Amino acid sequence: MKIAFIGQPNAGKSTIFNGLAGYKTVTANFPGQTVNYTVSTVKLGDEVFEIVDLPGIYSLTAIDMAELESRKYILSGQADVVINVIDASTLSRSLELTLQLAELQVPMVICLNMMDEARRKGIEINKEKLSQIFGVPVIETVANKGIGLDKIFSSAKEAYYKKLIPKIQLFHKDIEEKIEEIEKMMPTELVKNIPGRYISLKLLEGDQEIFKEIRNYPEFFNKIKQIREEIKKTHGRHTDSVISSERHALTMNIFEEVAKVGEPSKSLREKVDDILTNKYFGYPLLLIIVFGIFFIVFEIGRIVEDPLVGIFDSMIEKLPGFLENDSLIFFIFKGLLEGFSGGLGVAIPYLIPFFIGLTILEDIGYLPRMAFLMDTIMHRIGLHGKSILPFVISYGCNVPGVMGTRILESPRDRFITAALSVFIPCAARSTIIFGLVGAYIGGLAAAGLYIFNICIVMILGGILTKFIPEITPGLIMEIPPLRIPTLKNIFLKTWLRLKDFMLVAWPLLVISSIILSLLEYFKMDTILNKIVSPIVSWMLGLPEETGITLVFGILRKELSMIMLFQAMHTTQLNTVMTNVQLIVFTIFTLFYIPCVGTMGVLLRELGARKMILITVLTITVALILSVLSRIILSLII
Amino acid sequence: MKTLLDIENGKKIKILKISGGKGIRHHLQCLGIHIGDIAVLKKSSFLGGPVLLDVNGYDLALGKGVASKIEVEEIE
Repeated sequence: MKIAFIGQPNAGKSTIFNGLAGYKTVTANFPGQTVNYTVSTVKLGDEVFEIVDLPGIYSLTAIDMAELESRKYILSGQADVVINVIDASTLSRSLELTLQLAELQVPMVICLNMMDEARRKGIEINKEKLSQIFGVPVIETVANKGIGLDKIFSSAKEAYYKKLIPKIQLFHKDIEEKIEEIEKMMPTELVKNIPGRYISLKLLEGDQEIFKEIRNYPEFFNKIKQIREEIKKTHGRHTDSVISSERHALTMNIFEEVAKVGEPSKSLREKVDDILTNKYFGYPLLLIIVFGIFFIVFEIGRIVEDPLVGIFDSMIEKLPGFLENDSLIFFIFKGLLEGFSGGLGVAIPYLIPFFIGLTILEDIGYLPRMAFLMDTIMHRIGLHGKSILPFVISYGCNVPGVMGTRILESPRDRFITAALSVFIPCAARSTIIFGLVGAYIGGLAAAGLYIFNICIVMILGGILTKFIPEITPGLIMEIPPLRIPTLKNIFLKTWLRLKDFMLVAWPLLVISSIILSLLEYFKMDTILNKIVSPIVSWMLGLPEETGITLVFGILRKELSMIMLFQAMHTTQLNTVMTNVQLIVFTIFTLFYIPCVGTMGVLLRELGARKMILITVLTITVALILSVLSRIILSLII
Repeated sequence: MKTLLDIENGKKIKILKISGGKGIRHHLQCLGIHIGDIAVLKKSSFLGGPVLLDVNGYDLALGKGVASKIEVEEIE
């Protein structure tokens, strides 16, 4: 049985999904966290359930890419049962989607999630009544605490086997007549497995996708236009507004029937929320929070890094005692140990605290508030507040950052945001900033690099906007209530992100280290270094040996640094490189070519041409900035 | 005619008209915002920033551009 979770953004679909399937997908407290769908199978007794977590969708009229993805899935008719996840605290609005889902005539279960939050807002819901109105099972859950999740499969089974198809709620008579009129004329090829009523309504609403399809039926097309004009004339406003108002009126009626709204308990959260987005306190707090996290990550990372790296260093020093110096096996072991130490000693001490920090910010719901605060500033670079979300996620990893651009409405915003996102130092590049500049020069210099990076991103944004002017109306975004993250979720999410590093990145680090060792053994590294030396030595003024590390950095950015220790034959880089060289090296790795993974996701999201364009842009920017910083820093230091 | 940009913090308003193109109208309708809805302005625009609206039981941030296209009247 295939069960699809459908609901408005931030209703908790992914949290429920994770609760049922084990932690498989990243959740967060902001609308639009899930941008692609995740499938998982769950076995219960002798029955196998396939559950699908879809991106949140406010309405079946899709407004962004993520929503379109959901709509396509729902209309494909693959789901046997639809579970409509509703944030019970915003019941009246959520029911508008429920009404539209009912039009699809698929067995359905209504899942009232976040019941605790609804109660806090003083909303009491009569679920029996709601169940009666739609004729489908209604269950109550508090997904983040795991309450009520056990009822999901049993009610899905009930809906499926008893064919509990939601009852259609009727509009006013005049609209119903028009719907019927359209349904009667509809070309049969158009209907396929989608109910005619749904198509009729979408046509009245002026849905672009469906309008495209009926262009081939000129007679039908003209008739629709005529009907829309009639409705506009009799109601005095656009047909889509009329339908939307009709739906709104229906939901308000249902809401009043099933829900009682009492006094909300004025909570501490509201006061905190008020301060976080306060026009005077908001910005200083933003700075304190962001720098606080980086400071903590830096301090914790450094405390852990030194002893760990020390252990591996002493092991490598002892190697000649066991193995014959300069033998092939010696080089392989050395590479293995160095790759291992790079992952465990240098990357992980910074990654774990960083992921925990990011998770807490996400789960509390601070990111949408950041979007609110940053809206004005983002307009300076031709974007609006929502673009801040992909940027912040990019600090973790550029791949989900680029995918996160799907929450933006216009292709232009998606392109610019994606192009700028790849300039944001991801966790991998942060380990380089911390591990090289932070460790050898100081925390202040590391912080300076972040600020420098932000300035460059803003300047680039300004330039890109000059070429592609802003046309979007601006920010339209739901700000969800603040939530207290659960320890379990923080732990699981950090683990999910870390697992990705350990399973994908770490082996790659070890293998690449061994390859570098082998290249060294066969004296091939010098040849590769010679090839790139015009750029590396002549333009950037770096030691020739660093060339190979920059080439490997394209695979994973951490590789550049980890191989640097290896290529320079020391873990005390400051003895072989000057401060200027360390900074230039870091700046270059910070900006040049997004790693292979990011290029892959750019290709998928934007296509080959834009991917190449962005890649060329990154190389150009990296070269210009590195050369400039080399010249300027040499004059100062 | 007043728009959302002209309203002070904490005032109750009624949405009278959503001007601007089909895009904005659709988007707002999808979020459950309709003509005639009552809302409270939680935070007014500051330095050209967005406004924060409490409408139909949830908070919605609207950029300056969007807010200027929503015509409202104060009610009490």
